Amino acid sequence: MNAGPINCEVVYAAALAALPLLGPQRLSKLLNSHEPSEAWAVVRGEHRAHPSIEALLSRQFLGDKIRHRATDEHLNATASKCAVGNMRVTYLGAADYPQSLAVDIAPPAVLFWRGDITALDQRRVGIIGTRAATAAGRFMASQLGFDLARNEVAVVSGLARGIDAWAHRGAVNAITRIEDHPQSFARPIAVVASGLDVVYPRENAVLWREIAEHGLLLSESPPGTAPEAFRFPLRNRILAALSEVLVVVESRATGGSMITVEEAQQRDVTVMAVPGSPRMTSAAGTNLLLQQGCAPVVEVGDVLVALGLDNRRSFPNTFDPRRTPSERDRAVLEAFGSEALTLDQLIVRTKGELVSTAVTLGRLEADNWVVNNAGWWEAVGQNRG
Amino acid sequence: MFASIRSATLLGVQGRPLDVEVHVGVGLPGFTIVGQPDEACRESRDRVRAALLSSGMSWPNRRITINLASSSERRGGSGLDLAIAVGLLVAQEVIEASSCVDLAFVAELGLDGSLRSVPGVVPLVGALHDRDVVVAPQCAHEARAVASRSARAVSSLGELVQCLLGHQPWPSDLPSNHDSRGLGAIVSALDMTDVRGQPAARGALEIAAAGNHHLLLIGPPGSGKSMLAQRMVSILPNLDANDGLLATMIHSAANLPIPDSGLIRRPPFRAPHHSASMIAMVGGGTAAMRPGEISLAAYGVLFLDELGEFMPTVLDALRQPLEEGVVHLSRAKSAVTLPAKFLLVGATNPCPCGEGTPGVCICDDRMRQRYLRRFSGPLLDRFDLRVAVNRPHVDELLAKEPGEASHVVARRVVAARDIAIARAGCLNSMLTADLLDEYAPLTRGARQLVRAQLERGQLTGRGYHRIRRVARTIADLRGELDSVDEPHIAAALALRVGLLPAFAGNQS
Repeated sequence: MNAGPINCEVVYAAALAALPLLGPQRLSKLLNSHEPSEAWAVVRGEHRAHPSIEALLSRQFLGDKIRHRATDEHLNATASKCAVGNMRVTYLGAADYPQSLAVDIAPPAVLFWRGDITALDQRRVGIIGTRAATAAGRFMASQLGFDLARNEVAVVSGLARGIDAWAHRGAVNAITRIEDHPQSFARPIAVVASGLDVVYPRENAVLWREIAEHGLLLSESPPGTAPEAFRFPLRNRILAALSEVLVVVESRATGGSMITVEEAQQRDVTVMAVPGSPRMTSAAGTNLLLQQGCAPVVEVGDVLVALGLDNRRSFPNTFDPRRTPSERDRAVLEAFGSEALTLDQLIVRTKGELVSTAVTLGRLEADNWVVNNAGWWEAVGQNRG
Repeated sequence: MFASIRSATLLGVQGRPLDVEVHVGVGLPGFTIVGQPDEACRESRDRVRAALLSSGMSWPNRRITINLASSSERRGGSGLDLAIAVGLLVAQEVIEASSCVDLAFVAELGLDGSLRSVPGVVPLVGALHDRDVVVAPQCAHEARAVASRSARAVSSLGELVQCLLGHQPWPSDLPSNHDSRGLGAIVSALDMTDVRGQPAARGALEIAAAGNHHLLLIGPPGSGKSMLAQRMVSILPNLDANDGLLATMIHSAANLPIPDSGLIRRPPFRAPHHSASMIAMVGGGTAAMRPGEISLAAYGVLFLDELGEFMPTVLDALRQPLEEGVVHLSRAKSAVTLPAKFLLVGATNPCPCGEGTPGVCICDDRMRQRYLRRFSGPLLDRFDLRVAVNRPHVDELLAKEPGEASHVVARRVVAARDIAIARAGCLNSMLTADLLDEYAPLTRGARQLVRAQLERGQLTGRGYHRIRRVARTIADLRGELDSVDEPHIAAALALRVGLLPAFAGNQS
């Protein structure tokens, strides 16, 4: 076997993680009692298992099936997959295993990563939220990501559709414009549920690559793992563990974001939420969190204070290049509140008329004050202080 | 021993005259129809025999041959019954051949000798323009509406024989007791006053009616999509004589009720269920090539509710008729061209959960996109107007003042249509690209607005022309006839929403 410069133990760890039926929990149990090379021998039946996992492996089918797959070919295949995908591997107990996860209550036994693992040494804030985000939510997420990155706080998120992706887009934008601003920027951190070579969702492929390039892409799933549903809650626990502060931008009362919030609360991670209109189901979860006493986030300063950073260090509000709307246009913009409205509703609310309202909307859209989502108009980013 | 009687058969929405030749001669008793008859035609033997016997006449116990001349193509339908019966009587010399030379016969026979109406009386009688046509009383009003000479309604074979023998005068025009107040009447009673609020949707309806722009309504259940679409016909003008006649012919060929006046004057409204098959939609199927829903909706409105539930192939079959205004049906044995110039109104939910409103809807962008991708791009492109409608607010529903009445809106629609036709000879949706430059020049402001949209990638080249046509109609409705200005373009853009989710980019 040619493992190249990779530490042999690491290859065993990766191969163990890639075995079927050896999910994150069983893997942790195994690697808690054995070094990876020894664990490999255990599953192959060549080494006596630690009593705490003996029962597990002796279960019929399970032990046999794992043993059946634990071949040298599997070892080599996993090693080459990692090498091809430019993935690095570490395991709990290894010297390069990130400290922030090692102290966690449920640390992943094996970690696959791409990019720069030292990104975890930065100050870190998790930004999460619903996939079915409103335009205002997306705007807020990307603005927060951008502002945090400029304040040298790394954005941790899950690269899902909606809020997750937009938070990272903001953070990556801050870096890719580094020529304009000769300061140092935080590197983004993404924790994904699938294997690092399985881009999901597909539309985030560019972002996925950019984060690996400028920051850190992390997963406990071996290469080739499909985005199976059970992996997302597990991914969320790593997200929570890596966040010093967790910001929920938009969330329904149930769903993945609320799972992450629970994980964060178990870990005493500060949870903050962006308030939304009580009429929107997409803000039901965040409003519930605020009711329960979470601190609100309306701008980046709130997060910086929670991190104990000097919020004066925070850059003044980002220069808004959008043309200031005229008095009449502003009246239409204000009619939105925080809701999404059809043209019908907007005309009724402003007591306007079809053509003149359309003209106003056209102007506001051209200046990026409003966006249209299949017939529903939303105002973006107007409630910033 | 020989007789030749004039009748007609139906193909598509056209009647084609033919001569039913009857020969009664020596030989073994028998009855043969030649000349490619279809099944209904072959069955006429039994109907004619029973009808003759019930009417107190004899059935010749000899060799009977019927030829449907000319025999080049397949002939069908039960409308030849009467011609065959009369032919037999002439061949047996019960009736003199000379009494039939100026007549044609279009009716099915009952076993008791009564005359029954057949599908397509209007085109059939229309094709027999050089003769007086004998028809069943039920369809006398239709026949009279198109007959260039007179249509004679006779109730039974016995009566007809008496008339032909001169023993009895032809019956005068009987008052029709045919009740055709079907769905058409109910639908046209729907008025725009019932629509409270929803100014943009009302505006879109008016623009669609004025310029014949196809309209897509996007909205959650209960937002009034169907209600709006059903009121579309109420703001359309009456059909002119020619269109009315064509619409009547199509309805008659499909055996649908015709108003008592015999001519359809109001634009038809068709709303087929989404389980409709391809044949039901575009037509064909039977040997007579029955017109489909798109032809039945010709000169009126075709409303497709739950557009996404229609079979994709059925929807895509609409594309060519939408472009050309006719549908060409080709089969191995025949090819016909049917009118299909309709105003398409589609209605769909915005997303799988149906809510649509961002923040209330639980579908992510991908799901919304996938839902609207059920429609092919070319089909979506043909909707000049795409409007989101939401459930009206309670205050609007309970508003005391009713919405503007249909006849008020219709007046503006007619005025705008007159302007368009006087200017270019066609409605605005039919303006070609070069005519657009001539009749709908853009002002500077309008040009800038369009340019901005094109540069942002929110408008395609094809969309550009559609926007200009709609803007032309909006300007016409407002009586601003010179050029197309910025507000008109802005309104046209706002009424043609993009269906892919737009993103709020990071402005930082």
